Amino acid sequence: MFEINGGAAVHVISLSKHFGGAAVLDNINFEVAQGEIVVLLGASGSGKTTILRIIAGLEMPDTGRILLHGKEVTELPARERGTGVIFQSYALFPKMTVAKNIGYGLRLRGRSRKDIRKKIDELIELVHLEEHRDKYPAQLSGGQQQRVAIARALAYEPEVLLFDEPFGALDAQIRTRLRKEIRELLKKINVPSIFITHDQEEALELADRIAVLNKGMIEQIATPFDVYMHPETEYVATFLGAANIIPGYIDHRCFRCEDISIDLDDEMRFSNGQAASLVVRPEDVFLRKPENLIQKYQPLTDGIVDEVSFVGAFERVSVRLAFIHDKRMIVTRPKTETAAFPLTIGQKVPVGVVRFRVLPDNNREPVQRSSSAAKR
Amino acid sequence: MSANVSGVKHTRGFDVIKPLSVSVLIAIMLPLVLLPLASIFVFGTSNGLTSFWNALVAPEAIFALKLSFATSFWAMIFNVIFGLFAAYVLSRYAFWGRNAIIVMISIPTAIPTAVAGFALLLLWGPYGLLGRYLPPDMQIMFTPYAIILANIFVTFPLAFGVIMPVLETMSRSLEEASATMGASRWQTFWYVTLPSLRGAIVGGALLTFARAVGEFGSTILVSGNLAGRTQTAPLYIFSKFNEGQVEAANAVAVVLALFSFVIFSVLFFARDWLEAD
Amino acid sequence: MKRLCLSITLIFAVLATTDCLPGPMDGSDGSKGVVITVYGFSIMKEPLEKSIFPAFAAKWKAEHGSNVSFITSFAGSETVTNQILQGAPADIAVLAIERDVDRLVQGGAVKNDWRARPGKGIVNTTPFIILVRKGNPKQINDFPDLAREGVQLIHPDPTSSGGAQWSLLAIYGSELKKSEAASGGEDIPKATQLLHEVWHNVISTPGSAREARTSLETGYGDALVTYELEGLMMTQAGEPFQVVVPKATIFSEHPAVMIDRSLTPEKRPVVEAFMNYLWSDEAQQAFVKHHFRSVTNDLFNQANPEFVKIELPFTIELFGGWDKAYPDVIQGVFINQIKTR
Repeated sequence: MFEINGGAAVHVISLSKHFGGAAVLDNINFEVAQGEIVVLLGASGSGKTTILRIIAGLEMPDTGRILLHGKEVTELPARERGTGVIFQSYALFPKMTVAKNIGYGLRLRGRSRKDIRKKIDELIELVHLEEHRDKYPAQLSGGQQQRVAIARALAYEPEVLLFDEPFGALDAQIRTRLRKEIRELLKKINVPSIFITHDQEEALELADRIAVLNKGMIEQIATPFDVYMHPETEYVATFLGAANIIPGYIDHRCFRCEDISIDLDDEMRFSNGQAASLVVRPEDVFLRKPENLIQKYQPLTDGIVDEVSFVGAFERVSVRLAFIHDKRMIVTRPKTETAAFPLTIGQKVPVGVVRFRVLPDNNREPVQRSSSAAKR
Repeated sequence: MSANVSGVKHTRGFDVIKPLSVSVLIAIMLPLVLLPLASIFVFGTSNGLTSFWNALVAPEAIFALKLSFATSFWAMIFNVIFGLFAAYVLSRYAFWGRNAIIVMISIPTAIPTAVAGFALLLLWGPYGLLGRYLPPDMQIMFTPYAIILANIFVTFPLAFGVIMPVLETMSRSLEEASATMGASRWQTFWYVTLPSLRGAIVGGALLTFARAVGEFGSTILVSGNLAGRTQTAPLYIFSKFNEGQVEAANAVAVVLALFSFVIFSVLFFARDWLEAD
Repeated sequence: MKRLCLSITLIFAVLATTDCLPGPMDGSDGSKGVVITVYGFSIMKEPLEKSIFPAFAAKWKAEHGSNVSFITSFAGSETVTNQILQGAPADIAVLAIERDVDRLVQGGAVKNDWRARPGKGIVNTTPFIILVRKGNPKQINDFPDLAREGVQLIHPDPTSSGGAQWSLLAIYGSELKKSEAASGGEDIPKATQLLHEVWHNVISTPGSAREARTSLETGYGDALVTYELEGLMMTQAGEPFQVVVPKATIFSEHPAVMIDRSLTPEKRPVVEAFMNYLWSDEAQQAFVKHHFRSVTNDLFNQANPEFVKIELPFTIELFGGWDKAYPDVIQGVFINQIKTR
């Protein structure tokens, strides 16, 4: 799934950290290619902030190594690593102007005044802050401050940029706009970047690859498309986008649950009797017969419409599955569907899916091979 | 407070509480603080400005004022530097005994100044625990250096007390950002931490200075009260009063009162600037 | 704001560079001749600073060609003694009571031969009188009047002021002297009672005799038992006070001693010379001019017409010297019986 590629910009190898008996990080491995944007996505407490701080050198791991452009930096203090960190609060130096903030890293490295000035000019132009050059951070808006933070980190040509939930402090509207701008900017300058966030929409939009973290472990690291369409664990499936989970088990290359029976094509990784979950996204469920449906339709079972909500761009329906005790599925239907096939509460509908995943469920015991009477 | 009702001006519910509370405030302050201060100025000029001026420029008076300002200045320098250093160490590092040290730094304020002076005498006086080992020309007590020492002791926690809270509440990410950008600990301190402490340092310095200038209880013990040598302004006032030369005492008292007024006005009017961002 | 920062730093910089620490005022850092440090009790300030120091310095310059200057510190006699015991750099001490000198001897600061000087080490003397407001509104004529109801007395603190102890002895002793003169025997209970009643009227106990006088001047109390010279200084200056002469009163005796402990060989001759000078005619006459009574020559005293006449004078000898007076009267009567009530 991943190989140690000599050419990658950032290598994180077997990072582990324990704190008071609990594992904050458990064997974290990933890499970031030159110019790539990797987003570490996870809930609070998942360890994503710790990874970032370890890469920056602000914290030390118990085991593991960090390589930046092939150079081992694990033992180095933060100031020798050459990382550029953009903090959640931006941490702009309040008593320095924008220009001075940006020039700080170069000043530390003893560059000539002329060089520093030139670089500051370049960066100010890059982030479009020309009119704010001599202002103090307190006089800038959140978005402007963020741009200063980025320019400041770029000034000394860092090995990698590390963003700590950079959009948390901003309004929702600005957030969307800025995400695009930042991604464009990063692609333009071709510096590898690592973002951490708990916002899945942000991750999907920003990342070249997403690493989903859960309790100190990477559950999956893949492109946004793969992570969303082919989640490999239940956690990933539910963290990115909504998901309906139906617990069942494998019977001879067939997923079974009550009266649901789905043939699995080449899913050889399942063993007979293994407990498994069926994962279906709300937008992949259809509550009618598959007439005029282009995609491949897999019938599931029958259900009864429980609730219908109008949510602007689509309709959300809650369906009670007849034969699985009070299991409800959430379905979203676009306008085309609602117009052609309106639903009422209490209506009996067939439930079918056009896309689904079957994932192993390691929390349940496998069952003995037997026929349809499911035994728990 | 007033509303126009069909052309007739009509006041509703005149607020009596506000002017009343303010008046009470002033009435309490008047006899306790304002009038005593005023009487210093009234008395000083009662015999005419020339006699006031003469009392003021008397060589012993000028010397006393100069000595007070000089000894307080050096005590201030020391305590600000130490306060800065102590606040930095105590807010950034955790170690066994940290809280005990914080308490100990604050103890001098609880000790009566006369006791402080006496303690210094016991230690550094010519027959003191350590002083007895000092050669005669290096004796500290009864010289201006003793005054500086006493001032340092008595004002020890003041600058620290102003700087410490600012350091404690200062966001760590500022210093972390500086570190990730390549700054050594000293560079971070000098370029990032210190500028944000500017206000606290000035405030703490002014406080220390003002307090040291007014110090009496310890000074009178450790200085030997030698006129023209180790007699600070408060000592001068006290001695002149004892000698019955009340105008002379008053002239210097006026200077000190004005000085305090100036210092605390500065502290007040510049307080926004003095508070860290 | 930057400008304010700059100006404050500038002010401090100026302060720092111009007066690292102001050098001693009277010039002498050892470069301008010998400096003699004199610690004295409060009322000795005028005669010493105004007359005796300048005269001696001029004399020394004329005779030896080098400069002498003086630095001083004045406070209550007990305070001065304590300072010297703690190590204050005195060369000479002029004190209010012999007992303080004994303490210095015990502390190793003074050699025990101080009584060998002329006048048994006593440099001047003065009787104790009562100072009242001009016009004597409360009709105080003698010590017993101070015990009357409604009279308010200022009296310095005996633990810090030598003058206070003289005053107590004056009051107490006056009764002893009067009863002795009348019947031949000392009436101790009567003396004790007088002291008790007088002390009852004390409203304030400042730290030194001079402080007490200043208190009276600023309007506190009706009367003050003090040195004659204090009273004369005030009446001479035209202050609204007058001197009441008691029938019997004590003559206080003020010792001057050399602090042997700290004298260097360079200083010793000058300090010795100054000590001897204190008993010279010039110095004694200077004392008289400042309302102290000379101890060497009674004729000098006649030069000051202000001096009062005491009908029944006595000295510390009435009590058998300070060795007896202190434990018997100050401690025995005053502290134990009266003060603690």
